[in-house]
Amino acid sequence: MPETVRVIRGGREEIYLISEERGDGLLLLRPQSPAVPAPPREPAQSDVAASPVRAAASEAILEIRGLTVAYGPKVAVSDVSFQIGLGEIFGLLGPNGAGKTSTLSAIEGLLEPRSGTVLLDDLDIRRQPAQAKSRMGVQLQATSFQAELTIKQIVRLYAGLYGVTLSDQQIAERLREIGLEADADKPFKQLSGGQQQRLALQIAVIHEPDLLLLDEPTAGLDPQSRRQLWGRIEDLRQRGGSILLTTHSMEEAQAVCDRVAIIDHGQLLTAETPRDLIAKHKDDPRVRQVAHGEVTLEDVFIGLTGSEIRD
Amino acid sequence: MFASLFRADFLVFLKHRRALVVSLLLPVFLLISTNGTKASHKFGGAAFIIGLAIAYGLAATSIVGYALTVARDREKGVFQRLRVTPAPTWTIMTSRLAMQGVANLILALFVVILGTRIHNISPSIGQYLLVLLVSILAGAVFLSIAQAMVGLVRSADTVQAIARLLLAVLILLGTLGQSGAFGTTWSDIARWSPVGVVMTLFAGVLNLHAWGSHETLSLVASFGYIVVCAGIGIRWFQWEAR
Repeated sequence: MPETVRVIRGGREEIYLISEERGDGLLLLRPQSPAVPAPPREPAQSDVAASPVRAAASEAILEIRGLTVAYGPKVAVSDVSFQIGLGEIFGLLGPNGAGKTSTLSAIEGLLEPRSGTVLLDDLDIRRQPAQAKSRMGVQLQATSFQAELTIKQIVRLYAGLYGVTLSDQQIAERLREIGLEADADKPFKQLSGGQQQRLALQIAVIHEPDLLLLDEPTAGLDPQSRRQLWGRIEDLRQRGGSILLTTHSMEEAQAVCDRVAIIDHGQLLTAETPRDLIAKHKDDPRVRQVAHGEVTLEDVFIGLTGSEIRD
Repeated sequence: MFASLFRADFLVFLKHRRALVVSLLLPVFLLISTNGTKASHKFGGAAFIIGLAIAYGLAATSIVGYALTVARDREKGVFQRLRVTPAPTWTIMTSRLAMQGVANLILALFVVILGTRIHNISPSIGQYLLVLLVSILAGAVFLSIAQAMVGLVRSADTVQAIARLLLAVLILLGTLGQSGAFGTTWSDIARWSPVGVVMTLFAGVLNLHAWGSHETLSLVASFGYIVVCAGIGIRWFQWEAR
């Protein structure tokens, strides 16, 4: 088996290292430096000293610099900076109300941040929202399409919004991929929760985005649907796409994410590979106190964010 | 993008066509129940009756129909999902308003054709065209009121309650106020209410030789309602329910 895979993306050759071959036949890839190196970026002033985050190993598709989001006097996200590399799966972890969804909403252009910059491949989400959004795929926490429209009509609508024209046959093919071909003429409101989630993800990737944003994508999914979801995310990554996701499942984050960031009270506490994160914090007394045996990502998470239940 | 949105809004409208039929019930009842010289004269003649009927239909479909759909879609997060696409936000709302405008035209055309037949008046082609023009203006008056409502109130349940109450008040103002049953003060209030000014405009274009300063002032008042209510609706509109 070769140790690297060459991917032609946007007319440019990129090289990925095969980091792991999974039992189900999927290969986990990590981006290597591109064949034609990109010009080095100027680091932002705000993420040099203040942020505990190290930059992604490869060229960044997403750069968050000094992001602050506030709802009136309440600051939900405070001076958060991080980068996501090409082909990287990045997990944003945090207790309820920590600022995950607010961060995602600012990246998606749903919230106007008080300060800071969100750059998608140098496109500023505030200054060039349409261009930036056309390269993002989004699955929101709550799936919500017009309840009166059929699944086929919803797919056609969202394809049209991204400038993708699909024939009936292509729509049927997309629905077959998620096991909903027979339900093409059903109204959205008649789908089960799992079917709605699958449709939401399919629509999020309908235009083959460079960056996929997933807000708790596995919430409410059965194990089969969850496995299919990770398979599809891996597919997207293998095509060169990057993924930013939030999740409460530490096992999933540990298994799937290349890097994870922990956010609490609106502050980014750390961002590392799961392995590095565990290695770095395994001797922390707060972590040792909650660990039972070998330290896991969940132990680190609870150690850093506390054991009290959040609303 | 706009074509995709408009197509989807049209499909939703087709699913809700029963609501349009329900909006037509009151105008049709009004046209039939006043089909007599005495009853018709009490409201100022056939032209006023037809104007009132169209105004009721437009008020029902805009204030209740449009406002409720927007409030519910906002609460469910439909707008959030659309806003993360490259579609500019103005296209999302414009598409909905345009679709509602088409529904308003259909309703107005149906009522005016039925009304002229029942009340035996024969407008010219030009008058029919003027009715359509006034329908667009009247639709804009009621849509701006609906927009102000969803701008000021976030909860879909509250919007529904207020919309029904407002519609009932406007209908009562239009019917009882215009009839003069409660004296001149109420008659004046009714005359300058949204239903009153819209009704005056419809009556004016169906009876052009009687067009006077009152009709002109009603036209100005209509624009006033649109500017003020749309301003409120746009200024305070929130895309999220919470």
